[in-house]
This record gives sequence, structure tokens and C-alpha cells, in this order.
Amino acid sequence: MTRKEVFNQQLYNEARQRVLELHTRRHFLKESAMGLGALALGSLFGCRSGSPANEVSFDPAHPLMPKVPHFAGQARSVIYLHMAGAPSQLELFDYKPELMKMDGQDCPKSLLEGKRFAFIRGVPKMLGAQAKFQQHGESRAWVSERLPHLSTIVDELSFLKAVTTDQFNHAPAQLMMHTGSARLGRPSLGSWVTYGLGTDNQNLPGFVVLTSGGQNPDAGKSVWGSGFLPSVYQGVQCRSVGDPVLFIKDPEGMDRDLRKASIDAINVANQEQYKTFNDPEILSRISQYEMAYKMQISVPDVMDIKNEPDYIHEMYGTKPGRESFANNVLLARKLVEKGVRFVQLFDWGWDSHGASSDGALDVGFINKCRQVDKCITALILDLKQRGLLDETLVVWGGEFGRTPMLENREGKKMPFKGRDHHTEAFTMWMAGGGIKRGGSYGETDEIGYSAASGKVEPFDIQATILHQLGFDHEHFTYPFQGRPFRLTDTRGRVISEIIG
Amino acid sequence: MFLSITQFFGHFHPILVHLPIGILLIALLLQWLAGREKYKSFYAPVPFLLLCGMISAIAACISGYLLSLSDDYSNDIVSWHMWMGISVAIVSVVLYLKERKIRLAQQIRFLPAILFVLIMITGHLGGMLTHGSDYLSEPFADIFSDNNTGSVVIKPLPDVQEAVAYRDIVQPILQTRCYSCHGPGKQKGKLRLDDSVSIMKGGEDGKVIAAHQADESEMIKRMLLPIDNDDHMPPREKPQPTESQINLVRWWIGEGADFSKKVKDMSQPESLKPTLLALQEVPELKMTKVIVPTEPVEPAPLAALEKLKEQGIIVLPVAKESNYLLANFVTHSSVTSEDLNLLLPLKKQLTWLKMGFTDLSDDKMAAIKQLPNLTRLSIEHTAVSDKGIAELQSNKKLQYLNIVGTNVTSGGLSHLKELKELRDVYAYRTKIVASECKELISALPEIKIETGNYEVPTLSSDTVVVKVASSN
Repeated sequence: MTRKEVFNQQLYNEARQRVLELHTRRHFLKESAMGLGALALGSLFGCRSGSPANEVSFDPAHPLMPKVPHFAGQARSVIYLHMAGAPSQLELFDYKPELMKMDGQDCPKSLLEGKRFAFIRGVPKMLGAQAKFQQHGESRAWVSERLPHLSTIVDELSFLKAVTTDQFNHAPAQLMMHTGSARLGRPSLGSWVTYGLGTDNQNLPGFVVLTSGGQNPDAGKSVWGSGFLPSVYQGVQCRSVGDPVLFIKDPEGMDRDLRKASIDAINVANQEQYKTFNDPEILSRISQYEMAYKMQISVPDVMDIKNEPDYIHEMYGTKPGRESFANNVLLARKLVEKGVRFVQLFDWGWDSHGASSDGALDVGFINKCRQVDKCITALILDLKQRGLLDETLVVWGGEFGRTPMLENREGKKMPFKGRDHHTEAFTMWMAGGGIKRGGSYGETDEIGYSAASGKVEPFDIQATILHQLGFDHEHFTYPFQGRPFRLTDTRGRVISEIIG
Repeated sequence: MFLSITQFFGHFHPILVHLPIGILLIALLLQWLAGREKYKSFYAPVPFLLLCGMISAIAACISGYLLSLSDDYSNDIVSWHMWMGISVAIVSVVLYLKERKIRLAQQIRFLPAILFVLIMITGHLGGMLTHGSDYLSEPFADIFSDNNTGSVVIKPLPDVQEAVAYRDIVQPILQTRCYSCHGPGKQKGKLRLDDSVSIMKGGEDGKVIAAHQADESEMIKRMLLPIDNDDHMPPREKPQPTESQINLVRWWIGEGADFSKKVKDMSQPESLKPTLLALQEVPELKMTKVIVPTEPVEPAPLAALEKLKEQGIIVLPVAKESNYLLANFVTHSSVTSEDLNLLLPLKKQLTWLKMGFTDLSDDKMAAIKQLPNLTRLSIEHTAVSDKGIAELQSNKKLQYLNIVGTNVTSGGLSHLKELKELRDVYAYRTKIVASECKELISALPEIKIETGNYEVPTLSSDTVVVKVASSN
């Protein structure tokens, strides 16, 4: 026999052996005993494979249909107010008299050793708070004179005084805050939430993004991207001036019936395609066409704040017809009232370096505070009186904090007073949606440089938001590239200290 | 000098012991197998293996005895271990002689079994000496009992201020980091740290704790030495205490090394507060007042659910594995009586109902009346008035009622005074005035009637834009 024949013979024998094995009782008993044993061992080792009860179902034909969370959550929707650029906690909420005493002195070496800053070089001077502080409400929360309205409702809020992050540049820090990773490609918080819960109102997007301040956040549209989740879950950016969504009107000469007929025709073609390929994304596409058709009517309606009564405009300080954070805040309330799941607001212009008057703590920063103070206060009170605050979680914060030192870009004196990016301590607050009223968690050291106790990181905030919506963040996963992914990756702790 | 040479040989004991265990066990195995016809040839090496095992067993006994002279070990287990070891050596000698057909040895039976048992016991005792008495059972402690006294896991405290500093904080640290060498099993350097008297007595080099002088105490000094220093404790290869654990022990000694004081009675420096707080149990996650009835209920009929879905009405369980349902009419604003009749097959399960911004009116409220398990009802911005609200008197479980923007008056609301569970009424933009609801409030003292109308006054500063002063 040639080598080839021997080889073929071996192959044949092996195949025959395999077939015969399937017929023998011995093989069956051996394999079942071993197989079951291995399964039992796997469970003994306590491998926490996601139980089916915790899996999120995904129906490609109805991707946004409302779904049931792991447990009955207190919140049903979220309004996330992101102050892009990172507001200074030391001028708003983190009262540090000791820092005031050090104002103008050289920064102690111990604070600088082994540290890197975005712009500070050499030895900067310390900078005391550029605003007066006072305690407010029954919770005796410290709020500065920069937020005269918000300070009247501190008893509705819970502060997180020792938030930290590990990114000191805007884009990665914003990604970190919203997607749980400083790099591109992960789904945003709003995408996870709409993936897990769907949305109540099928005529509106489940995840709406509104921007103000003249610029998009530095991280671009990825902060509301859907990453590896189906693209139907990405945030829909709406504009508060002009058409809320670009190209939402039918072109001139096309009436509504013709539009419907053309969408129907496209859907028939897509159905045929689906029959051939069975690709669920095609069903997704069909449903998106239908949703878009319905939204042509409902979105312009809900996005129009002109019809709101005067006392509401008075309360929020809104002026219809121009792009402003206040208008967006009022819109957020309207959207939540109509059953939108997640409303994400970005307000640009909080990057107070002191390089220009807009970024000066005693000029531009004051103006930014005035733009947000009244309308955010109105939002909380308006949600409250409408019975929506219980089920709407409001989150406020930036992507990082600001240094207790005066910025000295390139080691030089700056034209205005400003602070550099700071990762080791900043303040955020949450309200409504089952968050404790008048709570506070975490403290910074006596000059507000770093967290002294109650330190939390973006993962903890994400875990808390998911928890309030009814999700166990450790079991809220999406299978991608061969493993289940979660928003909080391997981290995250629900901050039970601020849950009411 | 003599002592150090004996110690040197003694230190070979941990290596040597493994030889008789391995060699004798393989000899026993081969001997046993050789008893069968099929494996007869296995007998050949047995006498030689027995000889090797015998010699190594004797060597292990000698080195073990020399090691025990260093006296770091508690006598009880050591003596048992020693006599068992000697027995192993003797039995292996006898077994070897038997194989060599020495007559005297022929009389004794079951020798292999006896030897096997002796090796097991000796080995186990040796293991206890080296690794601590609960070494073997420790990994199973969690499986077999929830409350294992020998467990070395430091459990969180319910309230750190109420904790006894020694018993609840310091002792668990000593237990996990020190007991294996300075406990009941072993007393290296003649130091025992598992009871208060021994701790204060110290070891062969004197006291290890100087009360109120933490940094003068040998225990703290040793722990703070660089890890590669020979005097560093615990030894480099053993698990090390964390920085906060060292700080806690140091604080306890500094506070007088008292064995019964509670944390709250001791002074607590600012820097230690976070560490102390970290020992405290994180409060159990509170499920906030999400209103779901607790009584079990059977699943809703599927056909009824399907019919509602066909109408575009959202019906969902309130949570996974719950049979209670919520219904939401958010995209179904023209409500007919037929739609409401579709809810009736679900009347046991339906607990949250959202019908805000619909054309619900008083005459259709009769259907809602028939939902006994309703806890949350939102009918804001509908045409419902006092007449419709009066229908809710039989919804005894109602806790949340949203009637924002309806025509309900204070008088209408007073129909609800029999609803003992009612807590939150949202009555913004209605004709309800809280001061007119005295009767209702006295019947339901816990009720909150939110009439809203909050104002956020426009301050003069709100509209002023700050600019840079033109000249400095």
C-alpha cells in the first residue's frame, strides 16, 4: 500500500469508529456521565452565566417596543444634563474655606509630584473660590451665589461630592461618562437604556439628544452613538430651531398619501428581500421607515414649545425661536411627558481655563451659570408638580472637575482667572427617579483636590442610573464579538447611599 | 552551634517527608495490584521500593525531631505527629522484613492497610502544623455552613461605632494575618496572638505591644519594616495586611490596646474615619417605594393581552417574573368604551394605568372602577371631573393619582377619603385648593396633595450678561 492508501485507510477506520461509537451503549453512558459531570462542575465553580431571565430580548421587527426591566424600577425615563467642558465644582457646590486661605500661594509640591495636568506646567498658584457660598434648605447643602435659583431646591437633590474619572481631556472623559470607555465604539448610556427598555411612545424616538452652547460636545456624536448595539438605538439629535429633525418635512409637491404609498412600496420590496435573506436588520429597516413616517407628524408637534403657556415660559425663562439650553430643558420635560425614554442634553461652554473672557471664572462662567440656573430649577419643580419627578431621573454633571489651582498655561500668567481640567474630584447631582431627597455622598479633602471619602467613578453613576430604571448592571449585557458586554464593564457599584 | 546544626538538618524535614509518603504509597499500590493475575509482574520492584520508603521514613523522623526542637510548635499536635511518623517508619520496616521472608514478620496481618492509614494521619497532622488546623476544610467552609467560626473572611460590621474595637476589628486582622504562626497550632518566637493574655505577654524577645505607644510597639514596628527585611512581619511569602489594616491595629494600640472598648468610646482621628467607615456594611439596596401589590396573582390571559396590543395599547408586566401589569395609552389617545372593556379580563393583574392626554371622560370611568388592584392611576389632561373621580371610591388599593390639568375640584377629591392607601395626589392646574381639603387630610393624614404652581422668580441678574470691565 502506498502512504496515501494507508492514510485513507486510517481516515476510513476513524470515521467508521466514530459512527459505531454512536451506536454503543458504553459510549452513550460514558459520554452522558462525563458530560453531565462537566456541566455540574461548571456550575459548582460558580460561573455566573447570565440566566435566561436576565437576558434582554431583541425583536428586530419591533426594536423599540417597550420591554420589562429586571425588577420594577422607580424611574421610567432619564433627563441627563451634561455641562460639556466641565463646570468648576469649586465655584458651585464644593465649599472649601481652607483653599480660600491658600489663595495666591504657590501650590504645595506634594500635590504636583507624579501628577499630569492638561495645561498646568511648573508650580501654579492656589485659587480660592471665586464666589460666595451659603448653606441652603433643610439639608444644609452648600451652594454658591452663582446658582441663586437652584439653591432654593437643594432639598430635592442628592449631591455626589467626590466623583472621579481617569481622563483629563474632554473627548475621552465625555466618552467615559456616557459609554463607559474612553475610546470610541461603545454604546452610550441612552442606547443601552433604549435597548433594555424600548420606549413607550412609538411615534417618537426613544433617545433624543439636544445640544446648546453653539457647539457639539468635543467627543462628537459618539457620545450618543449606539456602538455595537443595533443602530436603531442611537440617539436622535433634534434641533431646537428650525425643523427639529433635518429633512423631516415632505418635499414640496409630495403629499402625505404619496409619501405613505412610496414607503409602502419600499417596505414590500424589503419584505421580499427579507424572505430571500432572512436578515433581521431588514425587519429593523422596515420598522424604521414606518416609525419615520409617524414621526413626521408627531415630532414637529412635540418639539414646538411655542404652544406652551406664558407662565411656563416665564418659569423656565424660555424664548421660543432661538437655540438655548433653557428651550432644550423645556423640551426635555415635554418629551418625557410624552413617553420618551432618555433625553440627553449637552450644553457647551463650561471650559473655564481663563484664556479668554468667555472662559473666565468671573465673566463667562457667571453667564453660563445664569443660562442654566433658572431653567434647571424650573425643570425640577415642573416635573414635581406634574407628578413626573418620581419616575424621571434627572442627572447633572460635567465630564471631570477643575483644579484648586489657578491655571498657568505654559507656565505663564493667564489673562483671566481660570482652572485647569481635574480628574480627582468633582461634583454631580441627581434628582427624582427614586433618588434620596436632600442627600449628599462623598467628601473631598480640605482644599477640594481629591476625594477623601465616598469616592465614586463614572461606572458607579452608570450603575446607579441603570438600577433606578430597574436593571442589575452586572446582568445587563449584549453579546458582541463572542462575549457579553456591559455598560459598566467589570466595574460599577450602585450608590445606594443616595437612593431614597 | 550545635543548635544551629540541628536546626539546619531540621529544616530538611518539609522536603524529606514527601519521600516516604510517595514511595510507600506507590509500593502499596503495586503490591495490591500484583495480587491479581493480570498484573503479577508489578511485584518485582516492591521490595526495593519498600526499602527506599523505609529509609526515607527514618530520615524524615530524625529531621522532624530536630525541627521540633526549635519549639515553635504547640506540643500537642507535634507529639501526635511525631509518634505517628515513628509508627510509619516502624511499620514500613516490618513490612519490608515481611517481604524479605523474615519469619517473625509473617505473623502480622493487614500491615499494608495499617501503613496506609498511618501515612494519611501523619501527613494530615503535618499539614495542620504547617498551614493551620482549618487549612483543608477552609475552602469548603462557605459551602457547608454559612456561619463558620473558623472562617477567615472579615465580615462587614452593621454599625462600626457600636463595634468592639478588638473583637470586631483587630482580632479578625490578627486571625487572618498572624494566627497561622502565632496561634493555637504554632507559636513561633514563643508568641501567641489569639488571646488577650498572650498578646500582652509577648514572645521570647519580650512584649510586642506597648499600650498608648503604637509606634514603640514591636508588632507595629515589624509590620512597617520594608518587606524584604528579615524581621518584617508577616514574612514576605505570607499574605500581607493592607495599609488600612495596619493603621487600624496601630490606632487600637495607640488608644491603649483595650480589649473591651467600643469604637465610639475611642478618639477617632480624621484620617482614620474613612477606614473605619469602610468596615461598615453598605446598607442593603433599598427597593424604593415602587408600588406593586405583594399578593401573588395568576398570569393574565394571553388572548386579552393580544387584543390590547392590537389596539396599540402598551401592556407589560411591571417587572420580570411579575404577573402584575401596567397599561399605557400613550399613543392611543381616543379611548372608546370597547378599549376599556378590554382591560377587564386583566382586572386582577392591572396595577398601573396611564391614560394621560387621552379623551377619557367621566362616563368612561366606570370601567376603571372595576380594577381592584390598581395602585397608580394617571389621568392627567383629560376631561375627567368630580363625577369621574367619585367612581374611584372602590379602587381601595390606589396609592398614586395624577389628575393634573383636569376639572376636578376640592369637593370632588373628598370622595376619595375612604381610599386608605392613597398617598400622592398630583393636582396641579386643577380647581383643587389644598386648604379646602381639610376633611380629606384628616381622614388620610399621610396624603400629599401637590397643587404645584411653583414660580421661579426672574431675578434682575438672570438676564444680565457679565462683560469684562473696559479698563483695569
